[in-house]
Amino acid sequence: MSSPKKSNFSFSKFPEGGLILVIIALGLLLAIFGGSVQLPKFETTPQGKRVRVFETNASGQKVPAFETVNKFFNARTIVQIAKDTSFFAIMAVGMTFVIITGGIDLSIGAIYALASVYGALVLSPYGPSGGAGATALGILVTIGVGTLLGFLNGAMITAFRVHPFIITLGTMAIYRGIAFVQTGGQSIGGFPEGFRQFVRWELLPDLSLVPLIVMIIVTVVGGIFLSQLSIGRKIYAVGGNEIASRYSGIRVGSVKLLTYTVSGLVAGIASVLSLGYYGAGSSGDGQGYELNVIAAAVVGGASLVGGKGTALGAFLGAVILQMISNGLVILNIPQNYSQIVIGAVVILAVLLDQFNATMAKRRLLAKASSIKKEVVRSTDPSVSLRPKTT
Amino acid sequence: MAFLSVEHISKTFPGVRALDDVSVNFEKASVHALMGENGAGKSTLGKIIAGVYTADQGVIKIEGKEVKPTDPRSAQALGIALVHQELAFCPNMTVAENLLLGGFPTNAGFMDWGKLREKARALLHEIGADIDVDTPLAQLTTGQEQMVQIAGAVGVNARIIIFDEPTSSLSTNESEHLFELMGRLKAREVSMIYVSHRMDEIFQVCDTITVLRDGKHVATESVAQTSRDRLIRQMVGREVLMKRPKHLDQEPGEEILRVENLSSTGKFENVSFNVRRGEIVGMGGLVGAGRTEVATAIFGLDPRATGNIYIKGQKLLLGKVNESMRRRIALLPEDRKRAGLVLGMSIMDNVSLAHINHFSSMGFVDRGRELSEVEKLTKRLRVKAPSLETITAGLSGGNQQKVALAKWMVRDCDLLIVDEPTRGVDVGAKAEIYELLDEVACQGLAILMISSELPELLNLARRVVVLREGFVTGELPHEKFSQEAVLELMA
Repeated sequence: MSSPKKSNFSFSKFPEGGLILVIIALGLLLAIFGGSVQLPKFETTPQGKRVRVFETNASGQKVPAFETVNKFFNARTIVQIAKDTSFFAIMAVGMTFVIITGGIDLSIGAIYALASVYGALVLSPYGPSGGAGATALGILVTIGVGTLLGFLNGAMITAFRVHPFIITLGTMAIYRGIAFVQTGGQSIGGFPEGFRQFVRWELLPDLSLVPLIVMIIVTVVGGIFLSQLSIGRKIYAVGGNEIASRYSGIRVGSVKLLTYTVSGLVAGIASVLSLGYYGAGSSGDGQGYELNVIAAAVVGGASLVGGKGTALGAFLGAVILQMISNGLVILNIPQNYSQIVIGAVVILAVLLDQFNATMAKRRLLAKASSIKKEVVRSTDPSVSLRPKTT
Repeated sequence: MAFLSVEHISKTFPGVRALDDVSVNFEKASVHALMGENGAGKSTLGKIIAGVYTADQGVIKIEGKEVKPTDPRSAQALGIALVHQELAFCPNMTVAENLLLGGFPTNAGFMDWGKLREKARALLHEIGADIDVDTPLAQLTTGQEQMVQIAGAVGVNARIIIFDEPTSSLSTNESEHLFELMGRLKAREVSMIYVSHRMDEIFQVCDTITVLRDGKHVATESVAQTSRDRLIRQMVGREVLMKRPKHLDQEPGEEILRVENLSSTGKFENVSFNVRRGEIVGMGGLVGAGRTEVATAIFGLDPRATGNIYIKGQKLLLGKVNESMRRRIALLPEDRKRAGLVLGMSIMDNVSLAHINHFSSMGFVDRGRELSEVEKLTKRLRVKAPSLETITAGLSGGNQQKVALAKWMVRDCDLLIVDEPTRGVDVGAKAEIYELLDEVACQGLAILMISSELPELLNLARRVVVLREGFVTGELPHEKFSQEAVLELMA
């Protein structure tokens, strides 16, 4: 048996490589065809204040200066895309956990909304002057509510043995309904400034990095969880063959429960970011997000049949979808087309994945036929095969 | 000239050359057996003729004319039908609907239910099968389902019917019925291809036997020309000798498993027996006798089981797999594809699956340790695969079974239950599995072996417990072993 230690790189071993290529291609496309745009020029004074740069024009007047930048390839746009991606990417990582077990969580958008609403209800009374304690409490409640709602999904799915599609279809309506009842349809704002500043913290002016950092942390932690921990292996096994997993002593119910809880947890994390970023929570938040999140996971290589998917893939899938969505704006294509394009991309991604799998099989075949077949035979001639009773 | 001939057929699957330049002639009104070890290519050849697979090279001719069955449907149009367990139709539809799935009788677009039933009944009558056409397929026994498949094949005027391991889950009665039916089909000039491992059947029903080995054609001989020994020699390419398992020569040690009045409603009742350290106890019985159910109950997979199980004298908590595993019980399940392996995962992932925590510290899998231990095991069990990263779906039956077995050798266990350990396994791997079971029994394991192959049971076991319809009908010590004695308890 050849040692599996020496691994020569191939896309079948690093499936996310294809997604990265797509992202690079999309980036190039947008950078080249997006054209350029004039943005007002800013500078930072020695006192750390940002002021507009003025220059004197030909007729001696002071006019605001503009700089010409690439429409896509500039820090603001890229950070904007990263921020927009972060909500979906964070949830797509959790959704991937669920999808690997062969399940689905349609309620993730509703969990996001309800966690936001409860978070807002906790934060709002403290008002803008609320302190760090209020901020911590708000974050804790938002994430806690998300986790609890996910746990409830998982508990019902395992206890009632009903298909997750049905359970989460139901909770999707229930959770959002509760959010509506709690708020009466009103948007709830007026959070502690500290909380908002924390989430909107900027490294450089207009470079808000918190959502980006959280997204990366969630992806890395999710990736380690799935690929390095023994529980991760169990998640893949349950999706690959539930019965065999049971026969291997894996507590299938607990594994499933865990994945739905993770799905709720990440929705809660996304809610915290949204509350801080937009400064309000309402029952209408995240309407239809579940479909974007599932789409991101699927574009990232997760298979709805189960047993397949990675955290990195989910993250990259979300990046691709967001780049396309923002890219249409950059390319001056009416926003209305974005749904059509994204729908087509999801289908295309799955087709490509299938094509890739077929090609991998072919390559394996070609390799097999070139290897001289090892003669498979037992070497011990003393072994009995003939039954003595006949 | 032969009725059907395949010429220079070659077919490659990932990692395996399944068929290598195989040519065989099949006659009309005859039953032609395809024999060989698992992975010899016999099933593949049958499936190529039936259009399930397409050959990489070679031609298929019917009455001298080249035909190209590219899918089961086009094969059917050529009069070729495949009877195969995995080809079940729609389980929720009735027998009648399934039989006429290809063309429902309609009246102005509406289903003509009367005509549907009538036609279906005629088809079943044709082969002498007595099955209610309104029964949903899911409620039929495997044997009845097979009858429906055959009726369907006869209904489309199949001239060639391929039987792929038809008896592997049939009871003796059902098998006899099938053989009788095959005789009648022969009278109707149907050419039949019979793929099977089972030596007895081959001699009972076949006229000609073709042996394949490692994808190559070895011999085609008439039944009169050949013999069991000759066939086995052709299949494995070497002489095989009888050997008495070593564990029989040592005294069994302390009692490891004691089952007392184990019952599970509708499955088995008041089952009692014991297994001691260092012995292999066989469990015999027909399909449906409750053997697998007893095994899964001991392993904690039957939440409704009642009674007492003692492991080394200590009572076992029933209905909890983790509890059974903690008490060092291991189960090699009957159906490895369904319950033994996660087919989409690699050899390594499968072997370490049941004891993944054993390879982990603080929840993190220690890949290095996993790799070295799994490699040791797969070497010991002689698993043949390009690497440990190979996906188990692509392995031969024998290698899959070894992987499923290796899974339970990661940690020492006290009781190993093996359910049909050599089903769908080639002769070479069979011998290796027997040898391994003997070896671990000698090392002090208690083994409970369930098998439908009597010779296997009688050769390997120290005692045989026989079940019939959920009851223990007797226990035979090694001195009193004979096929007749066991059969008497079984039937």
